[in-house]
Amino acid sequence: MDIEEKAEDYIKVEYNPNRPDFSTDYGIVRALKGLLGLEKGCPKYEVHRSDLVVQVDKSVEEVRPYIVSALIEGITLDDETIRQIIAMQEDLHHTIGRRRAKVSIGLHNFDVLKPPIIYTTETPEFRFVPLGGVEPLSMKEILDKTPVGQKYGWIVAKHPRYPILVDSLGQVLSFPPIINGELTRVTSATRNLFIDITATDLKAAEDALAILVTTLADAGGVIRSAEVRYPNLTLLTPNLSEMEMKVELRRVNRLLGLRLKGEEAVECLAKSRIDAEYDGKMLRAKIPRYRVDIMHPVDLVEEVVIGYGLDRLTPTLPPTKSVGRPHPELKRLSAIREVCVGLGLSEVMNLSLTSEAALYTNLGRQMQEAIKVEEPKSSEHEYLRDMLIPSLLLNLSTNIHEPYPQRLFELAKTFHRRGGEIVEEYHLGVITSHSEANYTEAKSLLDAITQQAFGLRCETKPASNPLFIQGRCAEVKGGTLAGIIGEIRPEVLQAFNLRMPAAALELNINQAIKLEAKQHK
Amino acid sequence: MQPLHLLEKKVLKTLEKIGEADIEGLSRASNLTLDQVRRAVEWLQAKGLIKVNTSQKTTITLGSKGLEALKEGLPERRLLRSLKEGLRTLNQLKSRFSDEQEFNAALGRAKRRGWIKIVDDCVELVNEPGRLPEEEVLERLSQVNILDEEELTKDTILYSGLKELLNRPDYLSRRVVKTTQITLTDLGRAASEKVSEEEEIDTLTPEIIVSGIWRQKRIRAIDVEAPAPPIYAGRKHPVQLFIDEVREIFVSMGFEEIEGPLIQPCFWNFDALFTPQDHPAREMQDTFYIKGEALNYADAESIKRVAATHRSGWKTGSRGWGYEWREEEARKLVLRTHTTSITIRYLADHRPKEARVFTIGRVFRNEKVTFKNLVEFHQIEGIAVGPRLTLRDLMGLLSTFYKRLGLEKVRFWPTYFPYTEPSMQSVVYYDRAGKWIELCGMGIFRPEVTLPFGVKNPVLAWGGGLERLVMMRYNIDDVRELYANRLSWLRGSPICP
Repeated sequence: MDIEEKAEDYIKVEYNPNRPDFSTDYGIVRALKGLLGLEKGCPKYEVHRSDLVVQVDKSVEEVRPYIVSALIEGITLDDETIRQIIAMQEDLHHTIGRRRAKVSIGLHNFDVLKPPIIYTTETPEFRFVPLGGVEPLSMKEILDKTPVGQKYGWIVAKHPRYPILVDSLGQVLSFPPIINGELTRVTSATRNLFIDITATDLKAAEDALAILVTTLADAGGVIRSAEVRYPNLTLLTPNLSEMEMKVELRRVNRLLGLRLKGEEAVECLAKSRIDAEYDGKMLRAKIPRYRVDIMHPVDLVEEVVIGYGLDRLTPTLPPTKSVGRPHPELKRLSAIREVCVGLGLSEVMNLSLTSEAALYTNLGRQMQEAIKVEEPKSSEHEYLRDMLIPSLLLNLSTNIHEPYPQRLFELAKTFHRRGGEIVEEYHLGVITSHSEANYTEAKSLLDAITQQAFGLRCETKPASNPLFIQGRCAEVKGGTLAGIIGEIRPEVLQAFNLRMPAAALELNINQAIKLEAKQHK
Repeated sequence: MQPLHLLEKKVLKTLEKIGEADIEGLSRASNLTLDQVRRAVEWLQAKGLIKVNTSQKTTITLGSKGLEALKEGLPERRLLRSLKEGLRTLNQLKSRFSDEQEFNAALGRAKRRGWIKIVDDCVELVNEPGRLPEEEVLERLSQVNILDEEELTKDTILYSGLKELLNRPDYLSRRVVKTTQITLTDLGRAASEKVSEEEEIDTLTPEIIVSGIWRQKRIRAIDVEAPAPPIYAGRKHPVQLFIDEVREIFVSMGFEEIEGPLIQPCFWNFDALFTPQDHPAREMQDTFYIKGEALNYADAESIKRVAATHRSGWKTGSRGWGYEWREEEARKLVLRTHTTSITIRYLADHRPKEARVFTIGRVFRNEKVTFKNLVEFHQIEGIAVGPRLTLRDLMGLLSTFYKRLGLEKVRFWPTYFPYTEPSMQSVVYYDRAGKWIELCGMGIFRPEVTLPFGVKNPVLAWGGGLERLVMMRYNIDDVRELYANRLSWLRGSPICP
């Protein structure tokens, strides 16, 4: 938990998604009481028995098989408490609930209901008045017409029957995970709450229920259980019994770099609101049920250090025998960069993801081999580039008002389809643009780079390519180097709003830097 | 005194000789082109060596009709002359004129001024005027060819004649002429006296060097204070410079660099890092997926262990996530969302008991681009493995790393990352902005991450975005500027700010 902002009469805190119990003041207060030493150890919550029964029909197995439940009695709900409970419900929906797909929560005014409660299914034509509505709507209409239906409908839409929660009179509590019924609306006058949590995963449902009921208990409610009767299983929920976990004290100290005594570690855990005993070797911890984030003994190690206070730890610099070194291939790239810079070229860095226009359409290139990401937020970042020159042309295009000559280079990974696989290869792209830029200048640059960076002399054989003027384009070959060179076609220049001639070259240097790397090892 | 250009010297000397002149005069007298004289005059004027007076006057010359009138007389004079010769009727008189309009104008003017009377078709001479002001003007012009308008206005008779004639087309031609008068100032005279007449070498050429001409002539001094045209150095991109700097820091701390593909199977990007398969970060709206699937991405045993760890913790001591792990999810291809996909693969491949490695590379997030977020950015990441490494060691390594970057004040507090425990966040104090800035996150890899790959010793890990550091270094507020590749920035920003 971080403090985001401090003001006169409030502080704003940020909490991590693994701690949904921090989504209300009650959870934060509970943790702070421990850290400040006001109230230590595991908070105790009593679950009172009730005769409430929730019947589960076999038909829910296909669509949303699990439900857990609880009653909260005698709670006083002011507007602020309601706001906070709704915030927690939203947070649980989002995190543990995976946007309601896994878990969804309904809160109801219990006093209008006639138990037992029945969790069953109905056909899409079944009608009831949804929360906030006046007229009954069919469940199908709710999915099609209401905003929540449109957002979450996909979770149940493919099933022939939808889950529904009714009481013994057939009054509708909820159409999980979409919307509650208007009947059970919770207001500041509500005193007794019925909680339903439906899910595709029982453990996740129980986790969410534990977090919710302990918070409602902190808000002044009395927790009462419900008996959930599945066709061949009966559960008493909520189950708030503490989780037991042990960790060796030596492990705690080794990981933290501390020398805590057993009782000190126990005290640290108590401040983190965890009960623990030390048996001379192990710390045996009892973890409150709402701490669903603790799944491994190393999580207890973190609870110890939080209780101890991270700011009390002094940094130490560990000794080492290891010898550092840069990656041999990346070191080669640095050397190539030096040559380019020495030739007066300015380095540019562009993104790997680019648009269809910049990579294909503007250049008259074919798209068969295009590599595309799925569902990008913007079409500006949709295709992985297989070539650097298109990016260099874009760079010239953003700099038309800067003094010429402009000579640019880029060293970066490009993406290619090879025999059903996608491979990544390092390319070097160079472009020169000014009133007298031409093939000869590009070739001079090519010779200088290949000879001074790789000790290779490249041949240039006539070739054709949509980027380059026919008759002023060549294929480059020499040793492990391969590439293309030429004067950019006026049509392409125009597509990029360029008024100056430009000549460019691009080399695949992947093999070359690999060979070199071996020699340098 | 400032050194003078060859052109300046020639103009000075010429002026000294002829006293005063205009541009044309100087050009004729100095054998320089008009353009050369103009340039020299501009420079000399700026140096205060000459004075340039420009004035303007209006000149009057004879037009074609004016010339004719000078020979034949004004049309009205010709009309009166014909009357005196005895012609009477309008038709008779008209026949003396070639231009009917001219005749009508002359008739009208003579009648208005009361020289003639018209009765029916006959014209009668009433009184013949003496010399007209118009005739006076024409007479003057016949003597001098060109007249200054200002002079004419001094004489009221001539002025009225001038006004009258200017109203008649083609009688007179009136032009505004600008004249320039260039003279030496006292400073200029002194400078001119010092200018030697001998020829100087303007540009040292190979011929001059070889021939030895330079022994006989002086090499002209030039204006060393004058601005020169700009040239631009070839440069590395500022982000690359920063990457080089970070690499050097890691290497100096005993770390070896590793590297790996940008496209990763979900297995290495998520599953191996204990990120459950239904975790929101794995959804398409956060992560870039690419159609296709990875084959042979890991050995069967590792896959089995990861699956078991997700399900129930395997032998790691964890409770696991409690769900059925599916291999087809792990095969899916993504653009890596963090460099940890490279470090975990290193750990799996080498199973080190002790190691220090780092990586710097591009990562991808399917986000809206804003001044704070890019879809593609760089991450730096370091890990240290060793039997006795502790959380305090991690704090020490990171503090050292920051110090090398020039960031002295560091603070740590607990946070959450899915694949480390304990986890910490760090903030550093940034002097220039006068505030604390959140930088690298760090922690010790969870046993659920390391044990399935046979790595038993603690793995300390830290990492974070590179761009934020670059923005701090270069005082940039909008992250998009880093990859806009504006030459004004690439050429203009100093390498050692």
